[in-house]
Amino acid sequence: MLADQLMDLRSKLHSQGVIFAYSGYVTEPVLSGVGEALKQKLTIDDADTKTLRSVFAVFVEQMQNIIRYSAEKVHQEPPPAMEAGALMEMRYGILTIGREGDDYMVCAGNLVRQEDVGRLEERLARIRNLSKEDLKALYKEQLRADPEQGSKGAGLGLMEIARRATKPIEFDFADLDDNHAFFALKATI
Amino acid sequence: MRDTLNIEQTSRTPAVVFDFDNNHLKISGESYPEDVTEFYRPVFNALDTYLGALGEGPCRFDFELIYLNSSSAKAVMMLMDKLEDAAKNGASVDVYWFYDKEDDTMQELGEEFGEDLENAKFHLEKMAD
Repeated sequence: MLADQLMDLRSKLHSQGVIFAYSGYVTEPVLSGVGEALKQKLTIDDADTKTLRSVFAVFVEQMQNIIRYSAEKVHQEPPPAMEAGALMEMRYGILTIGREGDDYMVCAGNLVRQEDVGRLEERLARIRNLSKEDLKALYKEQLRADPEQGSKGAGLGLMEIARRATKPIEFDFADLDDNHAFFALKATI
Repeated sequence: MRDTLNIEQTSRTPAVVFDFDNNHLKISGESYPEDVTEFYRPVFNALDTYLGALGEGPCRFDFELIYLNSSSAKAVMMLMDKLEDAAKNGASVDVYWFYDKEDDTMQELGEEFGEDLENAKFHLEKMAD
């Protein structure tokens, strides 16, 4: 029974070409560890330098998006000895890396607040439809711009993913309840 | 004897070697720190102090980065801005961007940073094998 259940889960991932899967609370050390294993696997696969760097770059941005923006989180007040504001927080997401023919795919999913769906969808649609040249120009513009409200990074992560991808990025949203939707993003390299 | 700044490379942060006595500053390796602000704060501070006292002196800055994430790109842009400002104020600044010839994304990124330098001299070069 136990073996069947777990094997079933493994088979589902396998049938979708998945070679790495992480579902759970993501922290920076998780990114480091899975990242090292990913580099090792790509080296064993004999992936060329450009592919290796691109898959890794997309992986880092996807992981950091979950760490920073997933709407599903737990936190603990820091002990008094730690500086104020050092809230211990972990956010939940799922990330898979797989093969599709000769390509690699890096997929990430996490909850987002319903009120953020429109803005995110609009932004992704814009990025998806840009030519490499226009994407480059927008990236440069964003590099110079002040970070958007609610953005903890440079606001460049999604553009970095699109620039590194060899096919247009794919994204989708599924309604979960009144407050949350599930957001999925796929990049092919 | 001026201060030097020496930060050892880790798997997620680059080596920083600022040899202020020889006016040769270098940052090399990979950059995707857990906390970009915290990592680059001492780098910015040391560079500000050095450039503030440089006057019309010479300075060479080497970027030899294999990979940087999007938040580090912002930090690199801020380094470039500081170097450009010093050049604007009369310093003789040479910025070298070394890229891996197998990775044209890093070459393009270098070109993009280089486009914004007007007073500092920009050199785009392949890394030695």
